[in-house]
Amino acid sequence: MARSPQNGDEFVRPIRRLLIGGIFTFLVLIFLVWRIDSPRVERIRTAIVDAVVPNFDWAMAPFTRLADMVDAFQSYASLYEQNQELRRELQQMRAWREAALQLEQKNARLLDLNNVRLGPQLTFVTGVVIADVGSPFRQSVLLNVGSQDGIQDGWATMDGLGLVGRISGVGGKTSRVILLTDSNSRIPVTIQPSGQRALLAGDNSAAPPVEFLENPDLVRPGDRVVSSGDGGLFPAGLLVGQVAMGADRRLRVRLAADYERLDFLRVLRSRAAERIEDPGSLVTPEAPLDAAPQLATEARNPADG
Amino acid sequence: MADPLTLRLWVGRSSYLALAILAIFVRLLPLGISPGDIPAPDLLLGATMAWVLRRPDQVPPLLIAGVFLTADMIFLRPPGLWTLLVLAAAEFLRARQSLVRELPLMLEWLMVSVLLLGAVLVESLVLSVFVVPRVALGVALLHMLVTLLAYPAVVAALWLVFGLRHTAPGEVDELGRRL
Repeated sequence: MARSPQNGDEFVRPIRRLLIGGIFTFLVLIFLVWRIDSPRVERIRTAIVDAVVPNFDWAMAPFTRLADMVDAFQSYASLYEQNQELRRELQQMRAWREAALQLEQKNARLLDLNNVRLGPQLTFVTGVVIADVGSPFRQSVLLNVGSQDGIQDGWATMDGLGLVGRISGVGGKTSRVILLTDSNSRIPVTIQPSGQRALLAGDNSAAPPVEFLENPDLVRPGDRVVSSGDGGLFPAGLLVGQVAMGADRRLRVRLAADYERLDFLRVLRSRAAERIEDPGSLVTPEAPLDAAPQLATEARNPADG
Repeated sequence: MADPLTLRLWVGRSSYLALAILAIFVRLLPLGISPGDIPAPDLLLGATMAWVLRRPDQVPPLLIAGVFLTADMIFLRPPGLWTLLVLAAAEFLRARQSLVRELPLMLEWLMVSVLLLGAVLVESLVLSVFVVPRVALGVALLHMLVTLLAYPAVVAALWLVFGLRHTAPGEVDELGRRL
């Protein structure tokens, strides 16, 4: 049985071997080029995904809808308990709503007194999740907004409630979001109320662990985790989730965003923070020395008059 | 194309391509986004191995390379490496196809398992040599084990849907060569 029956022909076999050798060399070359010049190949990859995946869009919609319907149907089974629970929660919510309304009024009054402007440039673009690119261990989704809609690399994405991930890779009509659960995701966070800074490092589990915590004793399960804005990566103060103690006794974060149903995502347009470049006229006067007294007198004049 | 054998060859190739597109499409569906405990099996990989062992002429190396390279690109894997390993495994099996068709499914399964687990180890080794960030070896092996557990089911499904079975000894292709 040592013979190779499909290649019995003496003329076919060398050609076949040559072809396979050629393919192998080509694949090795691709891998090496990717390793050497990763950004360019990643751009080609983005272009390919941008060209291929939106074509699947029309076919994906019914499947996704069907899966949603199955989910919804399963929830009928527990309708009664759900109803009871919802009633109880509604009761609590009413109380909270009253408290929230009072606080809102109070807050508005205080803001009015202080003339505060809150993050005037934080606007967002909303996109629909069209595909789940990535293997079981690479957590990322594809949005249907891209550079044509002004999306840029590095912007934060949220669902209605909490942070979901970060834009990484923008095509013309699509862009990729690396989720917080991906093992490559690292974002700086602050844990309230203790104000501890830490790093949220994804590890492919549903609740990513908190790393580089200065003083773990000050942090308790249940504390709120928000983005800290360190490094200018994200706007500060976006809700990430709650601290929880994992089964492995590590502090983990239960994410506020609902990863089970990521349908619509908000991409926050963040602007780079303004940097202070000049030394400032307080330390060294900006204008020439002889002009300075004149300016000072001009500035004083209206006050005198 | 009037020749029924040629026709069957091309029907086989397009069925494989259609199956590949379907497998990629299913994995693209935004359903299982939240990270679970056990990863879903890689059906395309199992199907490719089974197909090579049953109808090697219907899955030429160029087709396998094209399909897996596209998958590499779409699923954010390092391009080329996994394709290379899958192709090497497929060619290894193709050379032993006449031997395998006389083995029971159990031994065929074992052979494919050893090959693919080896491929995962080699991939992990190469990635660490090239200092590419990679998933932990244990997790990658777990994924491959799940894929391999699904192998008999994949074989059965291919037989039911495409009528794919081992070539009988003495069967000939369109040029009269033995398959």
